Amino acid sequence: MEAIKLESVTLEYKSHNNGIVRAVDNVSLSVNAGEFIALVGHNGSGKSTLAKLLNGLLIPRLGDVQIYGVSTRDKAKIFEIRKNIGMVFQNPDNQMIASIVEDDIAFGPENLGIEREEIIRRVEWALTKVNMLEHRKSTPFKMSGGQKQRLAIAGILAVKPSIIVFDESTAMLDPEGRREVLAVAHELNKNENITVILITHYMDEAINADRVIVMSRGRIVTDGTPERVFAQKDMLESLHLSLPLPTSIAYNLSKSGLDISENILSESQLEEALCKVLK
Amino acid sequence: MRDIAFGQYYPTGSPIHRLDPRAKLIFSLLYMIFIFFAKSYLVYLTIFTFIAVTTLISRVPFRAVLKSIKVVLILLIFTGMLNLFMYRDGNVLAEWWIFRITDKGIDFSIKIMLRLAFLIIGTSMLTFTTTPTEMTDGIEWLLTPLKYIKVPVHDIALTMSTALRLIPSLMEETDKIIMAQKARGAAFDTGKIHERAKSMIPILIPLFVSALRRADELADALDARCYNATPHRTKMKKLSFSYRDAIAFLVLAALICFIMVDAYHFITPDTSIASGLDYYLVEWIKSLIAK
Repeated sequence: MEAIKLESVTLEYKSHNNGIVRAVDNVSLSVNAGEFIALVGHNGSGKSTLAKLLNGLLIPRLGDVQIYGVSTRDKAKIFEIRKNIGMVFQNPDNQMIASIVEDDIAFGPENLGIEREEIIRRVEWALTKVNMLEHRKSTPFKMSGGQKQRLAIAGILAVKPSIIVFDESTAMLDPEGRREVLAVAHELNKNENITVILITHYMDEAINADRVIVMSRGRIVTDGTPERVFAQKDMLESLHLSLPLPTSIAYNLSKSGLDISENILSESQLEEALCKVLK
Repeated sequence: MRDIAFGQYYPTGSPIHRLDPRAKLIFSLLYMIFIFFAKSYLVYLTIFTFIAVTTLISRVPFRAVLKSIKVVLILLIFTGMLNLFMYRDGNVLAEWWIFRITDKGIDFSIKIMLRLAFLIIGTSMLTFTTTPTEMTDGIEWLLTPLKYIKVPVHDIALTMSTALRLIPSLMEETDKIIMAQKARGAAFDTGKIHERAKSMIPILIPLFVSALRRADELADALDARCYNATPHRTKMKKLSFSYRDAIAFLVLAALICFIMVDAYHFITPDTSIASGLDYYLVEWIKSLIAK
């Protein structure tokens, strides 16, 4: 089933010197329900703008964005879209509305006018999903970045979306926090069948995705499985995107004459291939 | 900067925390009004005991409570000084140029400082023991009548609680900016006053920029979580008055009665600087000594 559909979407910003910058330039895209998509690209490639187009925070100048068949141009149905597509932003501190964990998680369902008992059930469920149930009465002020970001995810989960967009949600976190957030994203995709769009500039976060989309200057440059995308090394290099570390090691080894497969994504694959070569 | 404790919530789950936020708001309002009627030192002592006991029950660390005064300490001292030197009535103890210290001036300036200190401590007790969400709900309830003249009461309440929630974040931000500018050789503690004021600009501009950016992101986050999806918002936590609120009200009412009786029932002769019950206390002690 088609969850997200973009039809030749274009959006422009005015730049400082009155010029026009095309943040998103004639992008067409289709995402099926249940997919895990990594959207990668350099700063200013338009990936965050694309995210904001998805839930109607921005409306395209040309083209159309549809979430489960509902266009974001349809003002009467904007909340139906926002209920369907949740969004986790970069800075967890700027997403907290309340200073008590459970109050913050309840904010979304409260806005939707859901009954009290159901809200309490959802808060418990959402906190369990992100492994933070024991913190429900505390304040997020002193928590680690990873914990705060997991709370932000719980706040979105309580709305019960079928799609979640992570808009550079790992960019401000330490490695430990990044791992936590990624684990939650994969868990939700697998067990709750939530469609995930993970926007990032860390290439190693993209290896476990079903599909990797690379953006540059507002356009989609390539779109395919991680194996296929990371095989295009020269193209990625020309966009100043680094390869995941195992891929880059294998690539350089094979370049210097070692008989090793270039299609290596994870550390365990690299390990296996190296063992094979060294035998 | 980090010491500013005003607006911070201390979760301890004490009986004070569990009071209904609407009750707490009304009580704080009453307290703020009636504290200005306090006259004799006996009453000030009673108010002090009241605050101390409240703090004890709330289990908020005394350190935090004292910090809330630290911020306004300069204002307190300034007000005290101004009253000390400018008060005209009473027996003159010392005089120089336009300054004059009188016995009534000393009395008055001590009292005004105490009053302000009690005011700050009392109101910060409210923020120490009430979560911004509760505060929002309480304020919203108090402003409900305005809904009928189409005032967006919920939006106002949310704005206020977000402002409170962002205070610690902005403090942290200010600290970071100050450190960053210091690392680049900026000096904030030296130079003449206008130089120091000028040196604040490199702090204020980045702070404003980041605050605006923050607000922008927060607005997006609100939208992403379906803010304003329906006019019929529901609440996870229902507010309900309980026996605790009644007890708290009785205690506060007793305090207010005491303040008012002291101020208006025990009239003292103009010749004495002791006012209210103090006068009678002093007279009583005098008579004891005379015996």
